[in-house]
Amino acid sequence: MNLLTMGVSANWLDYFRPPENISTTAHLIDDLFNYTTLMVTFYFILVCIGLFGFSYFYSSKRNKTPYYTYGNKKKHLIVTAFIGAAVFLSIDLNITRIANNDLVNTFWKFPNAKNEKVLKVEVMAQQWMWSFRYAGQDGEFGTSDDIVTNNDLRVPVNTKVLFHLTAKDVIHSFFVPNVRLKVDTIPGRITRVWWEVTKPGKYDIACAEMCGTHHYLMKAALTVYTEEDFNKWLASSTLLAANTHDPQDSNLAWGWKWED
Amino acid sequence: MSGGYNEIHPEPTTFWSKYIFSFDHKVIAKQFLWYGIFFLGVGGLMALLIRWTLAYPGVPFPVIGNLLFPGSNGIVPPDTYAMLFTLHGTIMIFYAITPILIGAFGNYCIPLMIGARDMAFPLLNMLSFWFAFLSGVVLLISFVTPLGAAAGGWTSYPTLSTLIGSPGAGQTLWCVAIFLFGISSTMGAVNYVTTVITLRAPGMGYFDMPLTIWGLWLTAILNAIFVPVLGAGVILLILDRIMGTTFFLAGASATSGSGDPVLFQHVFWIFGHPEVYILILPAWGIVSDLLSFFSRKPAFGAKATALSMTSISILSTLVYGHHMFTTQMSPLLTQSFMTLTMTISIPSAIFFANWLGTIWRGSIRFDSPMLFSLGVVFVFGLGGLTGLHLGTTTTDLYLHDTYFVVGHFHYTMAASVLLGGFAGTYFWFPKMFGRMMNETLAKIHFWGTMIPLNGIFFGMLLVGYGGMHRRIYNPFIYESLQRLIPVNNIITISAILMGAFQLVFVYNFILSLRKGAKAEQNPWQVGTLEWTIPSPPPHHNYDEIPVVKCGPHEFGNPNLKTGRDFQYQTEELVQA
Repeated sequence: MNLLTMGVSANWLDYFRPPENISTTAHLIDDLFNYTTLMVTFYFILVCIGLFGFSYFYSSKRNKTPYYTYGNKKKHLIVTAFIGAAVFLSIDLNITRIANNDLVNTFWKFPNAKNEKVLKVEVMAQQWMWSFRYAGQDGEFGTSDDIVTNNDLRVPVNTKVLFHLTAKDVIHSFFVPNVRLKVDTIPGRITRVWWEVTKPGKYDIACAEMCGTHHYLMKAALTVYTEEDFNKWLASSTLLAANTHDPQDSNLAWGWKWED
Repeated sequence: MSGGYNEIHPEPTTFWSKYIFSFDHKVIAKQFLWYGIFFLGVGGLMALLIRWTLAYPGVPFPVIGNLLFPGSNGIVPPDTYAMLFTLHGTIMIFYAITPILIGAFGNYCIPLMIGARDMAFPLLNMLSFWFAFLSGVVLLISFVTPLGAAAGGWTSYPTLSTLIGSPGAGQTLWCVAIFLFGISSTMGAVNYVTTVITLRAPGMGYFDMPLTIWGLWLTAILNAIFVPVLGAGVILLILDRIMGTTFFLAGASATSGSGDPVLFQHVFWIFGHPEVYILILPAWGIVSDLLSFFSRKPAFGAKATALSMTSISILSTLVYGHHMFTTQMSPLLTQSFMTLTMTISIPSAIFFANWLGTIWRGSIRFDSPMLFSLGVVFVFGLGGLTGLHLGTTTTDLYLHDTYFVVGHFHYTMAASVLLGGFAGTYFWFPKMFGRMMNETLAKIHFWGTMIPLNGIFFGMLLVGYGGMHRRIYNPFIYESLQRLIPVNNIITISAILMGAFQLVFVYNFILSLRKGAKAEQNPWQVGTLEWTIPSPPPHHNYDEIPVVKCGPHEFGNPNLKTGRDFQYQTEELVQA
C-alpha cells in the first residue's frame, strides 16, 4: 500500500486554501483571517529570530560570560511593556474592532421581509439528517402546502436567505464551508443565520457538532440555482407538495410558526 | 513561614507503607509518574488509531488491527472511532497530563523546592493518588460494558451524553470516573495551596519561590476553585441519566424536559477554560526556570513573569464563553467574551518577551532539559498565536469545530505540555532516582519528537482551514475534503514517527533507572533548594530546614568568589 496517496489534487496550493467563497459575506471572514495570519506570522518570526538567533549567538561555546541582569532595569521594563502593548494594539484591538463591526453590521443584521425580498427556510436537524421546510405559496409555515426536503437545500442566487434552525434529538451544527458560516442547532431553541450566495452550483452542508456514531454521514447537498431555475423548481415542488401532502405523516409534522 | 507540621516523620518500614500506601510526597510523585506514563501510552495508541482511520479510511490498522477489531477485519468501526476520540481526550487531559505535570512534578517539586519535609497534609496526598487510581480503574472498566465506553466527545455535551444519545453504562461510568478524578484533584489542590502558603522555608518570600512553584501553585488554586464546578456538572448529568431528572433536557420533538442542554456547556467551560491553564501553567513555570538555569543568567523579569502568570490565571476565569460562540449567546455576552479573550495577549506577550530576554546574552548550555524548554517556546508561540483566530467571533464562525481548533489546542495543551513535561523529567530524573539519563538518547528523542510534532499539528491547522471538521470518521465522503487527503497522510505518518520516537524515551527511562551513571548531588549546577541535598533525597528531605537568603536564579554574578557561577538559595546574595 502506498502510504502517501499524492496526486489527488492537481494544485498543491489547494492544501492552503479554504473552499471556494460563494457568498457576499464570506470575504469578511477571509479578510479578517488573512489579516490575523499576517500579524501573527510577523510576531512569530520575531519570536523565531529571538529563539534561534540567541541560541546561535549566545551558546556557551560562543559566549562564555553571560550578562548579569535581572531584566528589571528601566530600559528593560520599557522594552517588555512596549512589546506587550504593541501586540495588543496591532492585533487584538484591531481584530476585535473589525469582528465587532462585521457582527453588528452584517452577521447580526438579519434581513427583514418587510423591507426586502427574503427567502425563509426552517431547518430541523436530527440523527443523522437535515430537513428543510419552505413556506410554499401561502408564505405560512406549518401549513399543507409547505415544501419539505431531506438533505437537500436549494436556494437562489442574489437573494437573502434566512434560516431558523432547531434540532429534534441532540445538538447538531449547521456548517456550510463555502459561506464560512456555522450555527448550532439545539433542541428546545431556535437559532438563526442568514446568507446571500452568488455562485450557482452544488456544495456541501455538514454537521460540525459531534452528534453520535454516524455524525460523519450527516451531510446535505446545497444547490444554488439561478433565480429562474429556482422559481421553476419551486413551482414544480409546490405542486408536488400539494398533491402528496399527507397529514398523517409524522415526519412532516415538525414545522412551526415563523416569528421574526 | 515555617510553622505547622514540619517535623521529621519516622521512616516507614514495611513494603506496603513504603511503596503502596505511602505518605511520602516523593513516593506519591513517582506513583503519579508511572500512572501518567501508563495512560500516556494508552492515549497515544488511541491517537494513532484515530489518525490511521482519518488518513486511510477502510484500511485495516497495521500489525495489531486484527487483534483489536476482529469483527471488522482490523478496520476501526465508526462507533469505536467515537469512543477512541472521546477517551483519547479524556485520558490525555485527566489521566496523563494531570498526573504527570501536577501529580508527579507538583508532589515532587513543591516540598523540595520550598524547603519542606513533606506536604502539609500527607494523608490527603495519599488519598489523592488512590482516588485517581480508582477513577482510572472505573474508566478502564467502561471499555468492557456491553455498549462500550463513552462516545460523546471529551466535552460530553448533552443531549448526546444523556440517554437520548448514549444509552448504556459507558457514559455513566465516564461521569463517575470524572467525579472521582475531581475528588482526587481537589484534594491535591488544597494540599498544594496550603503547603506553598504555610511550609515555605524561613526567609522565602513569594517572589523567592522558583517559577516552577509559581506555576504549580496557580494551577492548584485554579484546580481547587474550578474542578468542583465540573464535579457538579457531571453529578447533574448522572442524575439526568439514571434518576430521570431533566436538567439538560429541553422540550423538543424527541426529548421532553424543562432544562437546557446549553446549561451544561456553560458549566463545562466555566471549568474547561481554566482547565487549559491548569494544564499549561506548570509547564510555563518549569520552562521559565529551566531557561534561566541553562542560560546561566537570572530569569529576565522574573517578577513580571510571575505576575503575568497570575493575571492570566485570573483572566482565564472570565473568558470561557469563547468556546460557545456558535450557540448564539446574547450579543452582549459574545462581545464581552471576545474582548476579554483578547486581553490575554498582554500578559502572554510579556512573558514571551521575558523568556527571550532570559536567553538573550546568556551562556546557553544545550542539555536535553534546555532543548525541550526551547521547544516549548516555539510550539507555544504557534499555539498561542493561532488562538487569536479562534477568539475572534467572526473567524470562529468558520473555524469552530474544525481541525484548526484541534491543531490549536494540541499546540498549546498537548505539544507544549508534553515538551514541558519531558524537560521536567530529564531535569529532575537525577534527583528522583539518583541516576543520570542518557544524554545522546535524550537528544535523539527531542528531535524525533519536535519535528514530527510540528508535522502533525501544523498539518491539522492546514486541514482545518481547508474546511475539515472535527470528530468525523471518514472525512472523504465530502468531495470538497478529498483534496486534503495528502495532508492527512502526512499528519498520520508524522504521528507514527513521533510515536516510534517515544520508545526511545521509554528505553532511556528504564535503562537509566537500572544502569544510568550515578547522579551527583547537583548535576546541573543549579542553586534551588532541592540541589542542596543528596540525590535521591533522604526520607525527611532536609536534616535541618534551610534558611533562604536569595532568589532561585542567581547565575553569572561577576563578584562570586566561590568558583561556582551560581549561588545556592541558602547563601547570602553577593552584591554585584
